[in-house]
Amino acid sequence: MIRAVAWFCAEHHGLFTPAGQSWQGPSPALSTSASAVELIGRPVNYFSRMTTEARFCLCAAGMALKAIRWQESRESEIGIASAGSDGFLAANQEYFRDYVACGRTLGRGNLFIYTLPTSVLGEVAIVLSLTGPCLFIHDDTLPLPSLARHAQRIVADGEAAGMLALWSDPRAAVCMAVDAGPGEDNIFELLSKSEATPLQLASGFQLMVQRA
Amino acid sequence: MNVAIVQSDVVTAYGWGLDALWDGLLSNETAIRATDRFVERGFLSNQAAIIPELEIHAGESRAMAMLRRLLRPLIAKIDPLTPLILATTVGEIEYVEAAILSHRPELAADARPQVLLRRIKQLLGLRGAAMVVSCACASSAVAISRAASMIRHGDAKRVLLVACDSVSEFVYSGFSTLLSLCEGPARPFDAQRGGLTLGEGAAWALLASDESPRGGATSILGWGNTTDAVHMTAPDRDARGLSRAIAKACAMAGKTADEISFIAAHGTATLYSDAMELVALRGATRRPRPIFSVKGGVGHTLASAGLVQILVAARAMSLGIVPPTVGLQVLDPSAVDWAHKTSVQIGRAPLALSISSGFGGVNTAVVLGGGDQS
Repeated sequence: MIRAVAWFCAEHHGLFTPAGQSWQGPSPALSTSASAVELIGRPVNYFSRMTTEARFCLCAAGMALKAIRWQESRESEIGIASAGSDGFLAANQEYFRDYVACGRTLGRGNLFIYTLPTSVLGEVAIVLSLTGPCLFIHDDTLPLPSLARHAQRIVADGEAAGMLALWSDPRAAVCMAVDAGPGEDNIFELLSKSEATPLQLASGFQLMVQRA
Repeated sequence: MNVAIVQSDVVTAYGWGLDALWDGLLSNETAIRATDRFVERGFLSNQAAIIPELEIHAGESRAMAMLRRLLRPLIAKIDPLTPLILATTVGEIEYVEAAILSHRPELAADARPQVLLRRIKQLLGLRGAAMVVSCACASSAVAISRAASMIRHGDAKRVLLVACDSVSEFVYSGFSTLLSLCEGPARPFDAQRGGLTLGEGAAWALLASDESPRGGATSILGWGNTTDAVHMTAPDRDARGLSRAIAKACAMAGKTADEISFIAAHGTATLYSDAMELVALRGATRRPRPIFSVKGGVGHTLASAGLVQILVAARAMSLGIVPPTVGLQVLDPSAVDWAHKTSVQIGRAPLALSISSGFGGVNTAVVLGGGDQS
């Protein structure tokens, strides 16, 4: 079951839960960890080393997690899966450009560790204490619906009590919190048929649930 | 529902095919060599496990060159609607290197793994679902679990898993920067191990539902995927994440860790990762089991590593022989009775465990069954 949908981009952020929470507003600047701490309700170490995309991901995932309160009883079984590709491609270019500029002998480790598709997830998992499965799973045709489906399957397989399904690019992050519960094939079908971007899907999710 | 590996192939620095890999490991001779590919760069090491005489077409990546030959037997043979999962860490990263070194930024987009995914689909004429699964150095092990899940849930009767990563300046420089590279060939579970050696490799496996496993088919009986949530690059020294992954995999398989015949270890030959694995294994079983690592022979093949060691484990199960850990010279005291310098005859081996870990604190365990498992 989709328990919460949260999103964060430079202009706006918001949250919707089928249980009744719904709000959105202009986004705070994430130049320091203070705004992120307020949004997700947890201390954030190493915020300054995070890329902009990682900060967006942390806020979206943290908001979804905070809204459904999984962390109070079952945090050891929560996992995270992501889709999206522009972010780590940008990180790849940043690392290698810097390495070349430094004479092609020594790169910067703090840039290199962000070059994997799962790098941002690892960072988010540390801050949010997510110890379930952590993987990148990208279906080019339907990234968000496919991701949500796989997250649902991971829960159904008993690998995790809940999964955060996180789509991101350098401009926005969208997170769905999925756990076991009544089937929502109608919502997944609407998601699959929609031509909206993941960000549009997230901010219009309340409407989609009402239609379904 | 039982899920089995019904067909597979692999290429490593030992050469093309599982026979070359198996014979190379049994020979106890490493395929790691000094390479002159990065000789001007002044990295910490000049060692790598490179695929010999790889034919690379103009403009082609090393990953695609490996796959073009490795996947050839599937062309026009595989059902075009078979879902495809590609496991890779950085895909065709040479395109990022070329974009920056030749000041042609438009090339970089070709390094996205979904571009490689499309190339594979095109090569094989596939028209079904396709996705990239990436989970650092546990990528192909995690991808096996997703493929098995898809089959168990009835999404598909067969799933093709393809894994690949190459030795590139990008990755080599990064591991050199992190001080992770061994000066000589990697020596997993050795008391004097000094780090990993990068290797390149590719592998594929066709997984299928198999209600009545035939002799020789290796079954995916259970899996567990966890995260340490402790550190971006270093493993949890208490091995809590890997321990939970092993426990989950065994529970899903309906087995106990004590029933496992032997273990295909991640065995990177880095100080903390090898130690962490042994902590997890000691906690999981009541007595030592033979373990092996292929990374002293073929290097760390990154995203391919999990599938490569699973294919070796499958051969080991069928022959009742656990291969030696190539490169092992002075056994680490914590690995006594676990790792071995020579092959170990174990007779009937109905169950094996394969474990993998990676950056971001990810851990994966897969329980494998021999052909006589139900």
